[in-house]
Amino acid sequence: MSALVIETSGLRKEYTSRRGGRRVAVQGLDLAVPAGGVHGFLGPNGSGKTTTIRMLLGLSRATAGSMRLFGEEVPQRLPSVIGRVGAVVESPKFSPHLTGRQNLLLLARSISAPDARVDAAVETVGLTGRDADRYRSYSLGMKQRLAIAATLLKDPDLLILDEPTNGLDPAGIREVRDTVRDLGAAGVTVLLSSHILAEVQQVCTSATIIGNGRLLASGTVDDLLAGAAAHRVVTPDPVLAARVLRAAGLAVTGPAEDPGDHPGDHRAGHPADHPGSEPDHALTVETDDPARVTRVLAEAGVWLSELTPVRQDLESYFLALTADDTLGGR
Amino acid sequence: MGALLKVELTRLRWRRAVVLLLAAAVLVPAVVVGATAWGTRPLSEADLASAESDFGGRFLRQEVRSCGRTPEFYGLEDVAAAELPEACRLAVVSSYAGRSPLDLSDSLESGAMLVVAAVLVLLLVLLGTTFVGHDWNTGSMSNQLLFEARRGRVWAAKALAVGAVGLLVALLVSLACWLALLAIASSRDLSAADGMLLDGVEQCLRTGLVAAGAAFGGYALTMLLRSTVATLGVVFALTVLGGTLIGVLGGQETQRWQPQLNVMAAVTNEVTYYDDSGLEPACLTGMARPRLDCDATQRIGAVQGGSYVGVVLLALGAVSVVSFRRRDVP
Repeated sequence: MSALVIETSGLRKEYTSRRGGRRVAVQGLDLAVPAGGVHGFLGPNGSGKTTTIRMLLGLSRATAGSMRLFGEEVPQRLPSVIGRVGAVVESPKFSPHLTGRQNLLLLARSISAPDARVDAAVETVGLTGRDADRYRSYSLGMKQRLAIAATLLKDPDLLILDEPTNGLDPAGIREVRDTVRDLGAAGVTVLLSSHILAEVQQVCTSATIIGNGRLLASGTVDDLLAGAAAHRVVTPDPVLAARVLRAAGLAVTGPAEDPGDHPGDHRAGHPADHPGSEPDHALTVETDDPARVTRVLAEAGVWLSELTPVRQDLESYFLALTADDTLGGR
Repeated sequence: MGALLKVELTRLRWRRAVVLLLAAAVLVPAVVVGATAWGTRPLSEADLASAESDFGGRFLRQEVRSCGRTPEFYGLEDVAAAELPEACRLAVVSSYAGRSPLDLSDSLESGAMLVVAAVLVLLLVLLGTTFVGHDWNTGSMSNQLLFEARRGRVWAAKALAVGAVGLLVALLVSLACWLALLAIASSRDLSAADGMLLDGVEQCLRTGLVAAGAAFGGYALTMLLRSTVATLGVVFALTVLGGTLIGVLGGQETQRWQPQLNVMAAVTNEVTYYDDSGLEPACLTGMARPRLDCDATQRIGAVQGGSYVGVVLLALGAVSVVSFRRRDVP
């Protein structure tokens, strides 16, 4: 078996309109989700997250590329692995006139799961006592819980959750996060598609960020953030310090004689770019090696007043990566 | 497959619209039989006196005398001569009163049993389309496919459930109606012709098969169009405009392909229609030579009508299942 639970290669999805127009939702996506842990799947609206998930689950056909779940080619071998995959795709979809329990019973019986598993799933998501109510009377949060309960009917090895905390109240969000974290800790691989970056940072061990249907970054959350490590430098002569550091090949944000002199330092959308955000004597240097900063400045006779690590969060990293990706525009 | 079929039967049972349609499939035929029984109830002496007084006079007496001379025109050829005057009076006054005795043969060919068949076909088309249209409307189809990815199986299980329920209901209801008509006839001392009981049972079997086919057709078309409203629109258009279009495009020669005629033939064992397109011109000008066959009556038998319906349903089912297996599911 492959060590990767989810694997896509060159995955592409094109939609053709009735007038012959084409829209590319996913273009050449290479996705790799290792076994175990919680993997975040991030991207702006329309970036192709849901389309990718739908292709993985056989609800949508890929235009090109290949996909594997548990090492098996999908959609060809999907029937043999779908029993190991629990998924909530977009909003919960159940029959509104049936009770929550009836909806779950239909799904459980379709896979010959015992009715007792419905009781366990209902209890796990905290719907006990409301499962006899009709689905249409549920709040959005209850619908989300029911959808998560449905995924648990299979006792899955892989859980794919598309925006699972939508509509939940703060207590519900915490419960879902705890559930996801617990499942991840118990050995279930969770692919968590979410817009709530703080949620991903709190819950996920690794993440993939996509934009315009393309892979932008992937790795463990720590690695992704380490790549964006920076240090704040305060010095009496920031202009000179900036010049020296740039000359040493470091990316610096802060005072410059002429912004056009250092095109390499003005990479659009880099996480460390916050023009004008620093006080007069402060610079931001993109590096995870503070010793190098002190050495370069000392050799140039520039003395530091302050050197502080700047902790990037996933949100600023994500926003910088997807700065050009406006609502999935192509 | 067995588990899936059970789930679909449960889903049918739990769907309120389906239950209402099934109730209508029992109640409406019962009303049809009741109305037939009421409309053919024997004339009382008071009814006869009233009719004679309303329509009495010279013409009525003349017709009674005419009946005595040619009883075969009034269906009284087997009546004994001694009983003929009273039988003729009864037959003539009944026809003047607008109330004929229950005629089982007529009930099968063009009366109550044909109406019952039409009602069952209509209601079971609605059942088939409502059942699965709900899945598309609520989006729960995608949820079902997350539990059983083999779309062909899902399609087949639903088709089997709809077809089996349609067959069972149509068979039981039409048999009950036929037995009720037989009982009514028996209670009125009306004798059934030889083989009439069996003819009726055979028609009930054909009604069951055609109605089950209608349920399947409604289901298959809805799986193709993914909308109850669209399906009903197409069925309405085909019913109202299809026959007209065939007639306009092909004239009388195409009557053989009129859907209504073929369905009716499949139910009643045979229908006749008029088509003079194959006749010698002399037949049409009234200058026909003796022995020239100028009979323009054409017949469609149950096998021909059933084959027509079967081929249409098979083609529809094939397109429906291929479409369901290939297209993206929202």
